[in-house]
Amino acid sequence: MFCYQCEQTDRTGATPGCAIQQGTCGKDETTADLQDLLIEVLKGVGQYATRARALGSGDDEATTFVLEAMFTTLTNVNFTATRFVTLIDEAVRVRDRVRARYEQAARDAGQEPEHLTGPAAFVPASDTDALLAQADGRGILVGLPLVGPDVVGARALNLYGLKGVCAYAHHAAVLGQVSTEVLDGVESALDYLASEPTDLDGLLAHALGLGHLNLKVMELLDAANTGRFGHPAPTQVRITPKAGKAILVSGHDLGDLASILEATAGTGINVYTHGEVLPGNAYPELAKHPHLVGNYGGAWQDQQTDFAAFPGAVVMTSNCIIEPHPSYRQRIFTTGPVGWPGVRHLEHGSWGPAIQAAQALPGFTEDGPDTTITIGFGRSTVLGVAGDVIDAVKAGAIRHFFLVGGCDGAVPGRSYYTQLVESAPQDTVILTLGCAKYRFNTMELGTVGGLPRLLDIGQCNDTFSAVRIAVALAEAFECEVNDLPLSLVLSWFEQKAAAVLLTVLALGLTGVRLGPTLPAFLTPALVDVLVEKFQIAPIGDPQADLAAMLG
Amino acid sequence: MTTHPVRLVTSDRVVLDLDVPEGTSVVEAAADAGFALPAQCRQGTCGSCHATAHGDHRLGPHSPAALPPQQEAAGQVLLCRTYPRGPMEVTTPYPRSRVLDGGPGRREGTVTDLVRVARDTVWVRVRLDPDPQTGTGYQLEPGQFVEVQVPGDDRRRAYSLAGTSSWDGDAELLIRLLPDGYFSGHLVGLLDGRGDRRVVLHGPMGAFGLRESGLRPRWFVAGGTGLAPVLSLLRRMAEWGDPHPARLFLGVTTPQDVPRLPVLADLVTELPTLSIERCVRHPDETWEGLTGTPVDLLTTALAAHQGTVPDVYVCGPPGLVDSVASAVAEAGLDPDHVIAERLLPT
Repeated sequence: MFCYQCEQTDRTGATPGCAIQQGTCGKDETTADLQDLLIEVLKGVGQYATRARALGSGDDEATTFVLEAMFTTLTNVNFTATRFVTLIDEAVRVRDRVRARYEQAARDAGQEPEHLTGPAAFVPASDTDALLAQADGRGILVGLPLVGPDVVGARALNLYGLKGVCAYAHHAAVLGQVSTEVLDGVESALDYLASEPTDLDGLLAHALGLGHLNLKVMELLDAANTGRFGHPAPTQVRITPKAGKAILVSGHDLGDLASILEATAGTGINVYTHGEVLPGNAYPELAKHPHLVGNYGGAWQDQQTDFAAFPGAVVMTSNCIIEPHPSYRQRIFTTGPVGWPGVRHLEHGSWGPAIQAAQALPGFTEDGPDTTITIGFGRSTVLGVAGDVIDAVKAGAIRHFFLVGGCDGAVPGRSYYTQLVESAPQDTVILTLGCAKYRFNTMELGTVGGLPRLLDIGQCNDTFSAVRIAVALAEAFECEVNDLPLSLVLSWFEQKAAAVLLTVLALGLTGVRLGPTLPAFLTPALVDVLVEKFQIAPIGDPQADLAAMLG
Repeated sequence: MTTHPVRLVTSDRVVLDLDVPEGTSVVEAAADAGFALPAQCRQGTCGSCHATAHGDHRLGPHSPAALPPQQEAAGQVLLCRTYPRGPMEVTTPYPRSRVLDGGPGRREGTVTDLVRVARDTVWVRVRLDPDPQTGTGYQLEPGQFVEVQVPGDDRRRAYSLAGTSSWDGDAELLIRLLPDGYFSGHLVGLLDGRGDRRVVLHGPMGAFGLRESGLRPRWFVAGGTGLAPVLSLLRRMAEWGDPHPARLFLGVTTPQDVPRLPVLADLVTELPTLSIERCVRHPDETWEGLTGTPVDLLTTALAAHQGTVPDVYVCGPPGLVDSVASAVAEAGLDPDHVIAERLLPT
């Protein structure tokens, strides 16, 4: 195996990357190799799909399948080798179908169908052992001796960014929002990667194109969430238990949260959010359920402790799962793209086993202290008070905005974000999104200009909301976003964050601080390009960075 | 074996004392002592087990992102990579509540069903009392075993569980009645209407279980009541709808030992990928099936097999496990394909 797609990739050797029998995340060699093979087949789907669509014979269902299949290969999503064997099988069937559509459409248009090579012609072996042998010579490092590390790194930036795009597009798709433009973009990106591009400038330009595509996806996802559940409103969310039977919903999928709330209505089971599902508490159509009682626990890397201590069932709806401790392995369930060997997988909506477990488990025996945090500052809320914000800035009450967001994680270097927010002066406002907020979202930061100093925009899935807020502020101040008194301090972990980073760069935002480390797939030469073009900077000392950002 | 005393002090000042054997990491030694410390990768790359240490130790290879050199120089460590060489004191950045207690549980219950399924084999169902910590259910990993104790008597006997996790609190066992057996003697009494139906179960424990290695066929070898852990695995596969091709090679001594188990019969319909092959070692005139041992069946099947190499599961006495390992080796397969647990008499 070789994998360096996430922030915690093994950096012990001369070349960073998890290349041993098991990755830092717990992904074993078999699963990693099968994921590489799945990506290979999906590129082949893209090769045919993009040509079929160009001839007016697009197959939306095929590429919607691609979105979920790509999502399974993100960090901390699916660790089940069997799932990948069956997905490869299904991907081949989808590829064959799209190929037939393309060839028919070409003939109908009086053209001779192209004879495609590369991933389009890859035939996975039906025997698992032979299949695993095929992984040799595939994967992200293919062609390294020929094209060198910079091209391989730039391809990785594209592939990992595309994985993030697909994950977000899948979130939108399961809520019924699919756009032809997005599917087309995903297909052509896969086709591009299948061509094994070698032009570095072209690769970087393509990566920024993915950033633009991701913005469209985030807009689609925003429409999916707000269309179905209303606009998030400022909400006091309980972060301590209520007595009673309990189900904890983790991951990101608000559709699954809605479905679990409906399935448990009237059962006496209380539903709690965990990790990135926390913002669900602020959506009117979710918050209307009285048995959605609050949030439990912290960010994803705390889940082994949180889930072990939770006296009910746990449902993991999307990334990020880590190895379930034996103490809760029988009462955690996965759904959607997620999977862990030995953990029961439920189809969306088939929550029976989780409900049965919750009823048999003891639940909380008493209420915890009444402790709450305030969330729900999506674009609708923030833009609703834009006048106050602008007045506060003009009056000098608010000096600066920091957008401190992204993923949380385990490495000690992430305490930077806590220290930064703690030390930010009283006349500054912290906007946050993603699970990085757990580093500081229980702090009492007070108010400024009548506004809370900490404004929680929502999930990482709510990037569109953050972009809308920034653009609206720039319009109000009649300047560019880069000229706003706004600094972006991002924390990345996996490929959704890679897609968001590409969006930030595609929007031309400069001076972003990124940590806790820079992606291992970005070679020094690639980092130089990003520094030169976008003045990306690695995070440093919190005090020094604060001083620099406040100018 | 040399061990080193290691004092773990959590951020809320709770002390956990460990004896760490030479060459063992603090995370491993803590797990052996029943404490699961926060740790994800266990290879020095994720940073989850970050702590501060005083005392003589060696630090194994690790990522500078997880533990930068300046932190290492300041006495910080990754506990999965910390190998004590002398007495140590370790301060963790997390409270005691983040250290999970991993010791086996204790549950009391009542024998609700006791059915003779073969000449000297009984199927036992125990309904456990609700537990304040874990509720009404009984959670287990398929393939695990329990130690059974009769209240008021310290003696314990280990038996594999034949079922899967039950939210109703049922534990199922398949037990061979031995002439002078301690617990099986107790069961014979119960069959005759004598004795107390209350029992104590310690566990579940043991690491035998299904391995996830793609759509690799799963073959199971069982002799006598060694069927119990295999039943547990097969029933889990059926409940979850696992698609893996499965074969069970089941052997008993005489035709009278062939178990009449409804759950085994049900598996044929509930797990469509399963085929069952039975044999007896000492047939009589009533036996029309195969003669031999389950290892004979396995050997024949391996010789005829083409395609993806199967994983072979066996849980039983050392002799059976060794025979299966030999059969797999003689078929030219990697020993990794044998997933085994040796059962020693208790």
